[in-house]
Amino acid sequence: MLKASAKADILKQIVDVVSTLVDEAKFNVDADGISLKAVDPAHVAMIELTLGKGAFENYEGEETELGIDIEKLKEILKLAHAGDSVRLEHNEDKNQLIIKIGAVTRRMSLVDTAGMSDPKVPNIELPTTMKLKAEELNYGIKASESVSDHIALVADETSFEMSSEGDSDSVDYKLPKEKLLQLEAKGKVRSLFPLDYFSNMAKAISSGSEVKLNLGNNYPVKLEFEIAGGNGHVRYLLAPRVES
Amino acid sequence: MRQLPVLRTVGTDDIFAGPDTPYAVSICVRCRGTKFLCGKRACPILVRYFADEKVKSLTEKSEMDGLSPPGIFIGRYGYPKVDIGPFISPFTEGVDIMDTPEKWVGKSLDEITQMRFSLVRGKHSVRVDGEERDRVYDIVQEIAMADRTPELEIKFSKAPRTSLGLSDSIQPFGRSGTIEKVRADTGRFNNRIEKAYNDSDLKASEAVLDLYRSSVLVSSIQRAFSAGVLGTGKRRKMVPTRWSITAVDDMLGKHLLSANRYNPVLEEFRIYTVNSLDNRWVVLMLPTSWRYELIEAWYPNTTWNPMGKQIAIFSSYEFFEGRKQYAEIGGCYYSARLAVNELMEREKFQAGVVILRESHPGYIMPIGVWNVREHVRLALTTPPHSFETLADSLAFAQQILDIPMTRWISNSGILKDYLHQRTLDSFS
Repeated sequence: MLKASAKADILKQIVDVVSTLVDEAKFNVDADGISLKAVDPAHVAMIELTLGKGAFENYEGEETELGIDIEKLKEILKLAHAGDSVRLEHNEDKNQLIIKIGAVTRRMSLVDTAGMSDPKVPNIELPTTMKLKAEELNYGIKASESVSDHIALVADETSFEMSSEGDSDSVDYKLPKEKLLQLEAKGKVRSLFPLDYFSNMAKAISSGSEVKLNLGNNYPVKLEFEIAGGNGHVRYLLAPRVES
Repeated sequence: MRQLPVLRTVGTDDIFAGPDTPYAVSICVRCRGTKFLCGKRACPILVRYFADEKVKSLTEKSEMDGLSPPGIFIGRYGYPKVDIGPFISPFTEGVDIMDTPEKWVGKSLDEITQMRFSLVRGKHSVRVDGEERDRVYDIVQEIAMADRTPELEIKFSKAPRTSLGLSDSIQPFGRSGTIEKVRADTGRFNNRIEKAYNDSDLKASEAVLDLYRSSVLVSSIQRAFSAGVLGTGKRRKMVPTRWSITAVDDMLGKHLLSANRYNPVLEEFRIYTVNSLDNRWVVLMLPTSWRYELIEAWYPNTTWNPMGKQIAIFSSYEFFEGRKQYAEIGGCYYSARLAVNELMEREKFQAGVVILRESHPGYIMPIGVWNVREHVRLALTTPPHSFETLADSLAFAQQILDIPMTRWISNSGILKDYLHQRTLDSFS
């Protein structure tokens, strides 16, 4: 069961962070809020999202699963203006999500969740932790985009660097420790990632947000940030490329 | 109706090569079919010349009675005002397969060339949108819907001519002539196509799918699409044959893929293979989500590498989300993508698919993208070879193909990604 209202911007943000990886997703509903775990079709990237009931204007939920076509929901939310309130109600009999935006009532059929199991979250320890502004991350990505399809993330005790090497060109964007909000490292680590995935993830982070980034050596990268004014949390994992 | 942009002319089967290069002309002139200067195993100009010689007494006539397979051709030069017209054959037997590439698998290049030279193409210049709709326009549309071989009488302004040309890279096409008068007895229409024709609310893309689902041959669907007999009323127009082939392959492939991308992932590596017309085909399937690549290697002196000293390799690929730009390697990309999606639909799986094509010197001239669609289809009807690892699969492929696997890999976007991109599963 779900009966809740939330500001359109918050729901749009949810849709943005999820749609970078999957077209369809299973949302788990309970009394405390909504959560989701999903992996992209290629099993290269994963998202874990939690949204507490504090993110909503009002919230009533009981344990259930909602299979949602994310692209469809994205289109529906385009009907809402920034400050609009959006009402969500699960009609269990018809397996529909009823979405009310102003005078619009949109009934969206839900996707069968039978084939959508929760992905197994790999248990990984990453030695390097840092915090930086979403803008800095996106700036480094922008610098890499014309150079290569891959981006290397490198960190040691003194700095964090994003770099790309193409056939003939290369680029480095280096942030000294002072420019970061936090940096904890023991020795140098370096991992290479597919730029399209990394860029899509970073772009889904609202500007002004702080991002926590965990990095290892030829290991997945973890990106964590808050949404919905601190009432929600997103964790992305992205698998590396190996060079040989 | 969906319009393809003007197709890019990169080395593929679905385009004419550009104007003859002076070099190409000069070696043909010096050789005249006697010295094999171009390195091919047979002279494509002579193959066409002899094919024409055999039927010339019947096809070089300014007035012809005959049958249409049925077949039509919509040109693309001068678009939107182009040459349209039916194919007519002076023969009474075997005409029905002459414009149905699905039935050509197993035939030699000589046989295919002979068949194409047994057809004469009538030409009539008209706007594709039907604003100058006339008798020929109507007849072309009727022929495109015909169920049997329509009877035709054509009076040409001059006896039909060949365009043999001193070039070794154009498709085998027979004679053509400008239509002065034409009379047709089309006979019965294909009832599926007629039904779509009568439904002027049905979108062209939906009509294409409906016809495909009612087991109408892709070549017949493409002919109807090209003739402008499908689609919502006012938007109907003729589509140049070359564009329509790719448009239909693309539409059908995308449609099948929209369901296949939710199928379970294949749990093994597979190879399907076929060898035909001196082309060796290896269809490699990977146990991954949908991704697809067609890689073509042209030996020196083959169609798309006429003067090369080295093997030329071209490829196009897409990942799960598909691609937005027209494939660099052309229409063959979409033909083969349709064929592999047909298999994934039948067997209810999805996979990563990499097609390796080695084109050897016996493949002396291009014969159209149907060659790609039908041979990949043929390969996929054979029992697959299963493997547990990519290395084992590639070792098997190496027994079929001459080019070293390392070279295939370095030219493959999908294989390189597979070898370098880790998945999260490997960290669990």
